[in-house]
This record gives sequence, C-alpha cells and structure tokens, in this order.
Amino acid sequence: MADEKSKVTDKASEIAKNIWLAGVGAYGKAVEEAQGRLEKAMEPPKLFRDLVKAGAALEEDAREGTLAARHTVEERINRVRENFHNQRPARIEDLMALHKKVDQLTKKVDQLSKALAEQGVGRSSRSKTHKTAKKSDVIAATGSGRAVKKQARAVSTANKKTSGGRSATSKRKA
Amino acid sequence: MKTRDRILHTSLALFNEEGEPNTTTIDIANELDISPGNLYYHFKGKDQIITELFQQYEHAMSHTLTAPIVRPLSPDRASVEDNWYYLYVVMEEMYQYRFLYHNLDNLLQRYREIKRGFKRLIQLKRTALYAICQTLVQQEVIDAKDQQLLGLADNMTLNLTFWFSYDTLLHDNRSPQVTIHQGVLQLLAMVAPYLGDDELSFYHDCEAIYINMLADTAG
Repeated sequence: MADEKSKVTDKASEIAKNIWLAGVGAYGKAVEEAQGRLEKAMEPPKLFRDLVKAGAALEEDAREGTLAARHTVEERINRVRENFHNQRPARIEDLMALHKKVDQLTKKVDQLSKALAEQGVGRSSRSKTHKTAKKSDVIAATGSGRAVKKQARAVSTANKKTSGGRSATSKRKA
Repeated sequence: MKTRDRILHTSLALFNEEGEPNTTTIDIANELDISPGNLYYHFKGKDQIITELFQQYEHAMSHTLTAPIVRPLSPDRASVEDNWYYLYVVMEEMYQYRFLYHNLDNLLQRYREIKRGFKRLIQLKRTALYAICQTLVQQEVIDAKDQQLLGLADNMTLNLTFWFSYDTLLHDNRSPQVTIHQGVLQLLAMVAPYLGDDELSFYHDCEAIYINMLADTAG
C-alpha cells in the first residue's frame, strides 16, 4: 500500500518536474490530458485503489503515446538522412579512399606487367629495354605459356577499362 | 474520405496557397463542389475549421517535439547528425500548416481560442531545442555555458517560428525544398560557432547542398 502510494506521488512529482522542465505546460496536450485525468481522479474522495489504477493506466497511456511518437519521429529522421546522403557532395575522405584504391590497382597492374616482361625475356628484345610493359609488349608476350596468357588477359582488360575511349577510336580506324 | 475530412483537407490547402484571410467558407465550398449549406452542416464557420486544423497540428507537433525531450535523438556522438535531420522533420511538419505562421499575430488576435495552444507549442519547441542543445553539450559536440545554451535555444525557436514569413518576404514563393533547407541551414549557423571542426563538415555539406539547390532552380 505504502509502495503504491509513493508510486503515485512519485508520478505526480515526476509530472510536475516535467512540466517545470518543459516550461508552462510545454509537455503539450498529452500532459494536459493526463493532468486533467489525474485531477478528475482526485476530485471525489475515491478509493485509493482506483486512484492507483488510474495512475497505472495513465502511465501506460503515456508510455504508448510517446513510443508511437518516437517511432514516427525516428522513421522520419531516417527518411531525411537518406535524402540528405543522396545530395551530399563527395567528401575529402571519400576522395582519399578512392585515390588509395586507384593507387593499389595501379601497383597491381605494374606488378603484372613486370612479371610479364620478365617472362617474355629472350623472346622479345624490346621488353628488356622497357621496364614497364606497354600494350604492344603484352600482346607480344601472350605467346609464352598459359599462365602468362591468363595474366595478359587480366592486364588487357584492365587497360581496356582505363582506355575505353582509345580502343573505340582504334576500332573506328580499322 | 468523409466530407468532413475533405473540408478540412481542402481548407488547409487553400489557406496555405491563398492565405487564410483571403479564403472564405464559400471559396472552400466551391473548391469542393458542395453547397455552402452542406459545409455549414459540418462546420459552423471558418473559425471552427481553423480551430480544428490547429488541433490537428498541435497534436502532431506535440508528439514530434516531445521526442528529444523524452530521450536524446542521438544515443552517442557518432549519431549526432540525427539531431540536424530532426530539424528538417520539424520544419517539414510546420510547412504543412504554414498558413498559421504567415501573419501569426493577426491570426492569434482573430482566433483567440488557438492562442493558448500556440503559446504552449512555442514553449514546447523551445524546450525541445534546449534539450537537443543539452544533449550536444553532454556528448561534447558543442561547448557552451548554460546561459549561452538558453540564448541559443531561444534564438533557434525564434528563427524556426518566423522563418517562413521571413523567407516569403525576401524571396516571395520559393520551392518548399529550398525554403526548408535554408531554414535548417540558418539554424545550424547559430550552432556553428560552438561546433568543433569535425561537426562543421556537416554544416559545410549543408551549405554545398544549398548552393546546388539554388543552381538547380536557376538553371
């Protein structure tokens, strides 16, 4: 009984505190309604049990109400976030990450070219003089072994990707 | 949709587009293609329509504004941007009932019954913004003294309340996206002096988007 009583007084003081926090009645309609109900419950000298019941129902209502509101506010925040990200300009961090990726890919292509050039030694005299193999060297080297062929294909597709425009013009010429 | 709801819906659209003082119940009935008598059956006059529209608005807005007071919108520093997105949510909601904010004083003079509710709403707005600022201080996003914080919350409330009037005065009718985005940008400009470099990047993104928007509408 004492516990229930303190629960109600706690609730009341909590509401009072919330109102104080929120400015005059700033908690809005929900609190006003809640208060109205609380006052109504207080007016006639009702059984204490009823009062507690009203308090508990009130708490339940309030919780459900704020949870529902929360849900929609969160949903709407998510929607705005998505929309915002679509419009957001590229950031420096994003650009840096992109640069890093390109650097890594370039390194890989260089390594592959080097490997090809080394394997092509003896067959092509030109690959001796050129450290990094050019497209023509790659084509020249494709004759030696299956593994090399595979690598060469990888390199040539990589080249195609970077020089799409060029291959298109050479096709037109042909 | 029930006739009653249709009346409210159409009234809101007309008030927003044409302005509340320029819209009569006859206009509303005409727009809906119903007789003034039919309208009168549902609403005894314009003030009743406005009161009910305001109640709708107050109900929705109170829910939205209670959210940051009950619990921080951003559980930690990493999700601090959710607070900024929330400003869009509030402003979009205000925009739906923007007729209330155009000529606010005049409206509250003529419709006494909504004055109390409106005051309550502004008070709640203030509290919500104050709660957000407090969260930002707690999460060390901004560095400000308590007194500054109160001033900041008040300034933001002021800006939020009169933004649409200001924007209309300055630019006539712009697209809602631009109006709302710049409104949020202005609110952020008030927080910006208290922000660290990390959080400023959001503000700069916001500026960049605004410039893009202007370029889009011009081009």
